[in-house]
Amino acid sequence: MSTGSAHQRSGPASQLVVYAVVAVALLWTLVPLVWMLMGSFKNSADVTAKNPAFFFEPTLANYRGLFGGANDLVPYLWHSVVAAGVSAVLSLVLGTLAGYGLARSAMRGKHHLSFWIISTRMAPIAAVVLPLFLMFRLVGLIDTLPGLILAYMSFNLPFAIWLMSAFFADIPPSLEESAMVAGCSRWQAFWHVVLPLSKAGLVTTGVLCLVFAWNDYAFATVFAGPNSQTLPIAASQLVTQTGIDWGQLSAIGTIVVLPMILAGLAVRRWLVTGLTLGAVTGE
Amino acid sequence: MAALADFSAKEAPLPRSGPFRPAPRGTRRSYSRRGFLRAGALGAGALAAPSLLAGCGDDGTAAVPPLEPGDDKWRRFAGTTINFISENTAPTAAIAANLQPFTQLTGINVQIVNLELSALVQRVALDLASGDAAYQVIYADPYQVLAPYSAGLVDLREFLEDDSYPPVEGGLDDFIAVQLDAAGRFSEDAPVYALPYDCPTMIWQYRQDLFDRYGNQMADALGHDVTPGPDRTWEEYYAIADWLNQNADEVAYGSGHQAKQHDSLMNDFSNVLWAAGGDYFEAGQEVGLLGMEDPGECVLDSEESMAAADFYASLLEIAHPASSTWDWDGVGAALRAGEIAMCPNWHEFAASNEEALPGKISYAPLPRGPARAANMYGGCGIGISTNAEGAERGAAWLFVNWATSPEVQLSNLKSSAGGGTPTRRSVYALEQVQQAETRPSDLPNMLTADAVFTAWEPQNIGLRPKIPMWNECDTTIFTELSKMIAGESSPSEAMTSAKSSIDSIVQRGWVA
Amino acid sequence: MTTVVDERAEKSESPAESGAPGRRGPTLSLYGWLMTPGVAVLAVLSIIPFLALVTMSFSRVGLLGGVSLEWAGLDNWSRVLSDPDMWASWGRTAVYLAATLGLEMLLGIGIAIALHSVVRGRGLLLSLILLPMFVAPVIVGLLGRYLTDSTFGLYTSLLRSVGYDGDILGGTTSAFIAVVLMDVWEWTPLIALIVLAGLSGVNPSVLEAAAMDGAGYWRTLLHIVMPSIRGILLVALLIRAMDAVRYFDIIYVTTNGGPADATKTIPIRLFETAFRFFDLGYAAAIGLMMLVVTILIAQAFVRLLGTKGQTS
Repeated sequence: MSTGSAHQRSGPASQLVVYAVVAVALLWTLVPLVWMLMGSFKNSADVTAKNPAFFFEPTLANYRGLFGGANDLVPYLWHSVVAAGVSAVLSLVLGTLAGYGLARSAMRGKHHLSFWIISTRMAPIAAVVLPLFLMFRLVGLIDTLPGLILAYMSFNLPFAIWLMSAFFADIPPSLEESAMVAGCSRWQAFWHVVLPLSKAGLVTTGVLCLVFAWNDYAFATVFAGPNSQTLPIAASQLVTQTGIDWGQLSAIGTIVVLPMILAGLAVRRWLVTGLTLGAVTGE
Repeated sequence: MAALADFSAKEAPLPRSGPFRPAPRGTRRSYSRRGFLRAGALGAGALAAPSLLAGCGDDGTAAVPPLEPGDDKWRRFAGTTINFISENTAPTAAIAANLQPFTQLTGINVQIVNLELSALVQRVALDLASGDAAYQVIYADPYQVLAPYSAGLVDLREFLEDDSYPPVEGGLDDFIAVQLDAAGRFSEDAPVYALPYDCPTMIWQYRQDLFDRYGNQMADALGHDVTPGPDRTWEEYYAIADWLNQNADEVAYGSGHQAKQHDSLMNDFSNVLWAAGGDYFEAGQEVGLLGMEDPGECVLDSEESMAAADFYASLLEIAHPASSTWDWDGVGAALRAGEIAMCPNWHEFAASNEEALPGKISYAPLPRGPARAANMYGGCGIGISTNAEGAERGAAWLFVNWATSPEVQLSNLKSSAGGGTPTRRSVYALEQVQQAETRPSDLPNMLTADAVFTAWEPQNIGLRPKIPMWNECDTTIFTELSKMIAGESSPSEAMTSAKSSIDSIVQRGWVA
Repeated sequence: MTTVVDERAEKSESPAESGAPGRRGPTLSLYGWLMTPGVAVLAVLSIIPFLALVTMSFSRVGLLGGVSLEWAGLDNWSRVLSDPDMWASWGRTAVYLAATLGLEMLLGIGIAIALHSVVRGRGLLLSLILLPMFVAPVIVGLLGRYLTDSTFGLYTSLLRSVGYDGDILGGTTSAFIAVVLMDVWEWTPLIALIVLAGLSGVNPSVLEAAAMDGAGYWRTLLHIVMPSIRGILLVALLIRAMDAVRYFDIIYVTTNGGPADATKTIPIRLFETAFRFFDLGYAAAIGLMMLVVTILIAQAFVRLLGTKGQTS
């Protein structure tokens, strides 16, 4: 990233506007998250107090309730980690290979193939779920982690192929050609020259796949069963007939959100180049 | 699930809840101790040390060898694991918190999947379609599961008439009759698809303290008795709500309603509809009790129905404006938070009401209208998937039998996880239960007893149509009502439009 | 999912896989092989359901004892095209799409420009502003409900203090605005991130030169920066648009279509038809219609991308 120089042109007055905009944006963004975090440490009276409680005596009861009470969250957490993690890795691997093939191949109808790939991600969830459910049932994948992983791949794989192929399209083929002149095979050129250059793309794709799968709710409601429930399902289960336990819900929300925020922030630098490589530096 | 068992061991001391096997004949009151000992002897023998129970479920299946066939009817499926899919209701929370006795008694492991009702219906339908039971025991909402999928539920006479299974304690006659028909049967007299498991019923919930303080003043101002009870009319309810709006500073509004665009809105409206003499279908309440495939023409455009809609719209105009965002949870929370002085709501909320505002909330049957009084019944049964096979099928029945038994119904009533009230007449006859009907009550849900007993009388109960395509009709009804409340359509427009939609839904028929 | 056109694409892939003798031979083969596993998995996960969906849309679908199909001709299709409620939902979906995408663009660009002018701590600020896009939509919805609850919602009490006394999720307009804003809250950061990267990626000397020419900041932005990020912005919008048509988590856990159908967008209606009414044939027809519309939107975006195809 360059440091940019646009700000040098801004006078003090517009600098004030800038800070005002940033401050409002920060408030708008952070208030809900901070409120959720605070809620997770409130007791049941404070969390639904008629006058929002800004100062309160923090308690760990909500977290304790999630891990020690009738809803033990540990299996949910494990299912989420495995299903989201494995589906992201598989999507990334298959997506990278296919993306590279797609980017470099000179076959006829490539645009159609590429459009078909991304169009699979447009499938209306509630409609495709039934045929997928029956397919999965036939091969015994319902209520299993492999089934959930495969279901997540139905939306992550096209995304990964598409994003990665955009990346590879952006890397000049001349690089591989010179590597091959130096004695590399096509595969070696891909492995030793192209892949290292695509680090940003790989990281971005991987993390976004992870986030999409981790955050999924619609697929998990259908494909997950007693042996494969995930965290978002656990969150929705707190909405019960006798009321919503907002304290526990805040706690579970925090648990769902925190790992993804950490993952996202850890790769923020790559995310910026990753998401924009094709458009910004290309053409 | 291990942690679940652990939780139950800590939260619900075992000696109090007992082992839940039907008592030997004639020893009803002594079931607790004797069954306890027996289960202890047969089971893992770890009852004395609750902290050891955590791993018991898992180890039990693997370690306990099956007993000789015929030796004990309760243990013939020891080692089997079954899944119970349930709406996340209070009774299931109570059972989930106290499953250990069942495992001790039978050696069967039960995994409970708790879901919000619409998610449950989705899962059940898909499971029935798969031809292979992931869930053997099904929470069979009469309207959303039983009516559309009765063909996917086992006719329980298969077990009831087979004496190799332990008998249903007290027989089917011990269930409250109207509930057995409404929650257990579909379209025919004989087959039983589910046994009544819970029985939420809508009653009038009100702030006793405010009625004590303002009662006389209100009665003077309004010119009629204001004591909530079966003699009040909906017009009087309206007048009371209106008066409280203006005169009671303790609450923001007099009345609140579960008028979100949701199933709850249909429930709330139905009480008024039936009281006014209106109904959904030509077949009337008959279609509610046993249910049928073809209920005839929709009669929401009748004079009585229109009048009911008119009244309901005006009632909502003076109700708490947040009513249109509340389902039953929302209105329950509002009552407990002191936002409103009264509301029609499910009687099972009594326990949480009592916890939030001890001694301040009382209960009465809903007001009557020109035609009658109607209290919406929302009970459900539990049944067995026809896809369940072998030992799982038998084990599922043992669980259904156990979970609806008087002992478990009693322990649900006592549960700290906030269970409902029993579906068994014998439980209501117990002295400790009857004592709890008045304050101070250690079983606060029983404070509603007078109100619900009146509500369950055949002439007072409100039964929505039990037809396979009810879900879609229900959606049409609460959508049109929601538009009416939002002021987008007039009551008569709402009813006319609902009628024509419902007629075409029913005409389209149902493919199960 | 696939269309007629795409099936041709499927077929045209096979020569590449088999190595297309006579042309670049082995190299093509490698690319073909690289594509095979991914494309094959995708094909299984999408073509079979697609065909099933087409079949279902011409049938009445029974569920019990295994799925059964009963020929229904064009019933479902004529219903989907003639149902006024359905068209109302389409209208609502269009407004929802325009409102969410429009606001996300506007706010995203605004925030990016502001952040770009910040000298110190930009990285930290950006990190904070990005947070919402990592939050699960179902949590966004539940959190939205918590914040707008009429009894104890933080935002409700803020609005009360400035004189608003309605109920946010209870009013038809306010509920619609609320669910739009929840989506905007979650996805504006993505747009901001992309625009900021675009701003940062523009060569400073270009900006200097523009300044020399006397071009104002805004004109520079419009004529130099925007064109350079147009491609990725369109891609981001494409993905957002597709997901906005597909996803229903936020609305599902907040209003579930109410009040008075004000937030009943097409995906909510589809979900309800499929999993509340189990009218699966009709649901299949709705789903296919959604797919067609999404593909048309996607085609439009791709055309906007013009010759700068992402995969070329």
